[in-house]
Amino acid sequence: MNKALFIISLQHELAMAIGNKLDLKAMLKVFLKVCFNRLNLTSAHIHIYCDQSGSPCKIMPLESINYQHLLSIPQRKQGKPWSQDKVLTHFSEKLCHKQENISFQYDNGHFLFGFIIPDHGLLTLETHYLLEPEVQKALQPILQKLATSCNTSLVHDSLVKEVHSRQLIEERAAFQAQRDSLTGLYNRQHINFLLSNAIAEAHQDKSIGSVLFIDLNRFKPINDAMGHSVGDKVLLTLAKRLLSLSNDKIAIGRFSSDDFIILVKNLSLDYQDDIKLLIKEINQLLEVPFVIDANSYKLNCSIGYTLFPQQSSTVNNLIKFAEIAMYEAKRTKAHQGKQYQVFMSEKIKQRLTYADDMKQALLQDDFTLYYQAQYNHQGDIIGAEALLRWYHPLYASLSPADYIPIAEESELILAIGQWILEQACYDIKRLEQLQLPTSFKKIAINISAKQLIQSDFQNRVLQAIEKNNISPERLVLELTENLLVENIEDSINLITSFKEKSIDCAIDDFGTGYSSLTYLKRIPASILKIDRSFVAKIEQSRESAAIANMIISLGNTLNMSIMAEGVETEAEFDCLKALGCHNYQGYYFSKPLPLEEFIKILR
Amino acid sequence: MDTELFTWHTYSNTLDDLKQGLLLAQKSYAKSLLMLTCNQNNYCEAALNSLLKTCNLPIFGGIYPMVILQDRLLEQGAVIIGFKEKFDTSYFSRLQLISNDDCLETMITETLEQKNYFSGHDSFLMFYDALTNNVEDFIDCLFECLDHNVNVAGGGAGNLDLIQRPCIFSNQGLLSNTLLLVTLPKKLNTSVAHGWDIFQGPYLVSDAQNQTVKSLNYQPAFKVYNQTISAKTDHQFTEDNFLDIAKNYPLGIKDINNNLIIRDPILTENNHLKCVGNIPINSMVYLLKTDNETLISSAKRAAIEVANFDKKITIVFDCISRMLYLGEHFNEELLAIAEHCSTPVLFGVLSFGEIANSQSGAIRLFNKSTIIGSW
Repeated sequence: MNKALFIISLQHELAMAIGNKLDLKAMLKVFLKVCFNRLNLTSAHIHIYCDQSGSPCKIMPLESINYQHLLSIPQRKQGKPWSQDKVLTHFSEKLCHKQENISFQYDNGHFLFGFIIPDHGLLTLETHYLLEPEVQKALQPILQKLATSCNTSLVHDSLVKEVHSRQLIEERAAFQAQRDSLTGLYNRQHINFLLSNAIAEAHQDKSIGSVLFIDLNRFKPINDAMGHSVGDKVLLTLAKRLLSLSNDKIAIGRFSSDDFIILVKNLSLDYQDDIKLLIKEINQLLEVPFVIDANSYKLNCSIGYTLFPQQSSTVNNLIKFAEIAMYEAKRTKAHQGKQYQVFMSEKIKQRLTYADDMKQALLQDDFTLYYQAQYNHQGDIIGAEALLRWYHPLYASLSPADYIPIAEESELILAIGQWILEQACYDIKRLEQLQLPTSFKKIAINISAKQLIQSDFQNRVLQAIEKNNISPERLVLELTENLLVENIEDSINLITSFKEKSIDCAIDDFGTGYSSLTYLKRIPASILKIDRSFVAKIEQSRESAAIANMIISLGNTLNMSIMAEGVETEAEFDCLKALGCHNYQGYYFSKPLPLEEFIKILR
Repeated sequence: MDTELFTWHTYSNTLDDLKQGLLLAQKSYAKSLLMLTCNQNNYCEAALNSLLKTCNLPIFGGIYPMVILQDRLLEQGAVIIGFKEKFDTSYFSRLQLISNDDCLETMITETLEQKNYFSGHDSFLMFYDALTNNVEDFIDCLFECLDHNVNVAGGGAGNLDLIQRPCIFSNQGLLSNTLLLVTLPKKLNTSVAHGWDIFQGPYLVSDAQNQTVKSLNYQPAFKVYNQTISAKTDHQFTEDNFLDIAKNYPLGIKDINNNLIIRDPILTENNHLKCVGNIPINSMVYLLKTDNETLISSAKRAAIEVANFDKKITIVFDCISRMLYLGEHFNEELLAIAEHCSTPVLFGVLSFGEIANSQSGAIRLFNKSTIIGSW
């Protein structure tokens, strides 16, 4: 009676020990521990069936069986894991092969009893006594229950894995929703979100924060010349460098192409110093050249910043203000960054108004070309430079130097440039129809950077010439030295191509662009124009005279003709003439004139 | 006495005398010291800490209700044994903070790995704070992590008033909630005896949690216990005599080999019985009884069993409850052990809970038992 009660209580206790944990190994360990204690075992072991990859699995009937050692109590025998114990290994092999309960007696009188956990594994019990048949029999329903629990654990495990992989996907999606795909920095949306929170915190904590807008200078030429893959690597490298600045107060984001945002929270009372230091650190990060695919690129940036909540408490305004300040920093070449000021917005507004009015001017034909005559040292007019003038009640007094840079900030310059090209060709046609002095050769027009990089620029020029049926020799394209330096290879190709079609090019503002003489030699331009800054009061400046002399010598060496621009006095003229410069342009000779008046002096 | 062993004892309860003993031990050839002291000494904790910290030899042991030396019981005083070998000691401290099996396993494995699983040594003495609440889980886990065929003898330290105080000695001072494992340089042989027989039962443990039996045969545990004892003996429980009666009728868990593992009820609360040691739910328990003669002869059998091995040192962990049961006859138990002990040195303690290997080889927590170990 007591024995029956014992077996029932044993079964009950073992059954209760099954399924207490969901993880397979943990669940089996609980069961094995209870077996160990209740059956007074010397050791206990579980081998589990597994698939080809070694993961526990349920084995279907007639399937070949792989198994591996999963658990033992105690974990070791004579200092080694049980998986290395030969007797147990052999016994398990036999048990698996036979697929029925077996036993084995050691020399020391101990026994091994092996049981099958249906479809899932093997249970081996080591005892110092003979496990009675009734007890062995009593274990059978327990092992069936254990098998069910094993299956549940496996199903749970696969669910856990699925949930985990889903979580990973969700986390990745959440990450991607916040991050810029190229650099891994925060994207614009998330920076907006962070800024919105930072503004709220700043109000709550009465603290100060800042938004820094960073734009890489001269990044576009790298992208255009070397391709986007190189440009992307530059951005990625910069992102990594900027990321070194991030901490719990500083968040870094990519705003657009080569624009980055740095959001700084909880600035100290010396916030201006903090920001200056941060800008210094950013500049230092850029001092190291960007080495991409064995090429080295030296870049710098323009930084504008704004403070919150002082300067604004709205996300859009703060970013807009920081960007405006960045443009101001870029315009003034302020490497130490610029804080946003209200006048910057007004300036922008003004520029936008100019731009709108320029668009109108183009439509209403309010622009015109003036021509400033160019002379040789014998006083003959050899050509003229076409200069843009604007008939406008408010802006008539404005110099093109004021509004052309505004047009250059947008695509407007292309429309204006095209208008100048066509108008100049039209005027050349008119001049050609007149009796021109033999000394008169060419009309020069200024070409902007954006025109130059137009893929169909050459076609446009040729079309204008063809349309007006003029001789291509009459047209000179003036390109500034700075423009050539920025796009040197393309410029060389383009000028060579124009030259083949008898269109000359002049290098304008020469002496200000620090162009390499090696490059200069390769540029097939016909004319070098000495910048007006070296001409002004040249007779009083030894330095200007020396530079002008050098330019004249260079032109002679490279077989280019030299033209001095901005000649305003007789003394300047005399000095230039003495230095060997024989072509001039400037008020000393003639101011820019409307075409009709220019025709008059030509005659 | 074995000349290779330093032994010193005192019946004095003063710390100065203990200090003298320690000085002598440190001047001896001993390379590590086992110190066992009596709870009744009531040493000043700070002064004892200082003494332990300044000891220039590895020192270990604990404060027990009483100390055994040969066939004598020291109700106060101390024993110091100096070993010629430097014993390795492992302290598992702050056990009360370990909340689950995984943490326990991590803690034990980290120590075992540090010690390279004791480099093949398989014999240990164990001294622990008896009022640490998860000692049994710890020893289960220790056995799981250790090797097949390890040999352990140990006993719980502490005070009869069952108020927890630091009671384990180390060179860092007194420790509580700590289990100390001392690696022995030689093989330890142990024997376990209790001398208790089935009186009533079996009862199915229908509800239990760790050391607390909530119900027997689906009825409140204390109600069943009380009714059985009242019906079958002359004892009647009142409000304040629980321990006086319960010490005579412990519970016994019968294992598959018909061995009885004793669980001593020490407290009744909410009709539950709280015991020293876990009682698994769904196990079968009996009420046990004994008499002086059976108890003493069981200790004698244990001593004879160990005497079969040729050893030098014998340590005894004898349950305090046996002394409480036997009273003035307890000396007969000590005499019986000493008489059959074959080693020149015999010492030990009266403990709260005893630890040794069961027949299967697993390490078990026993109650009301005599553990005799010799190496």
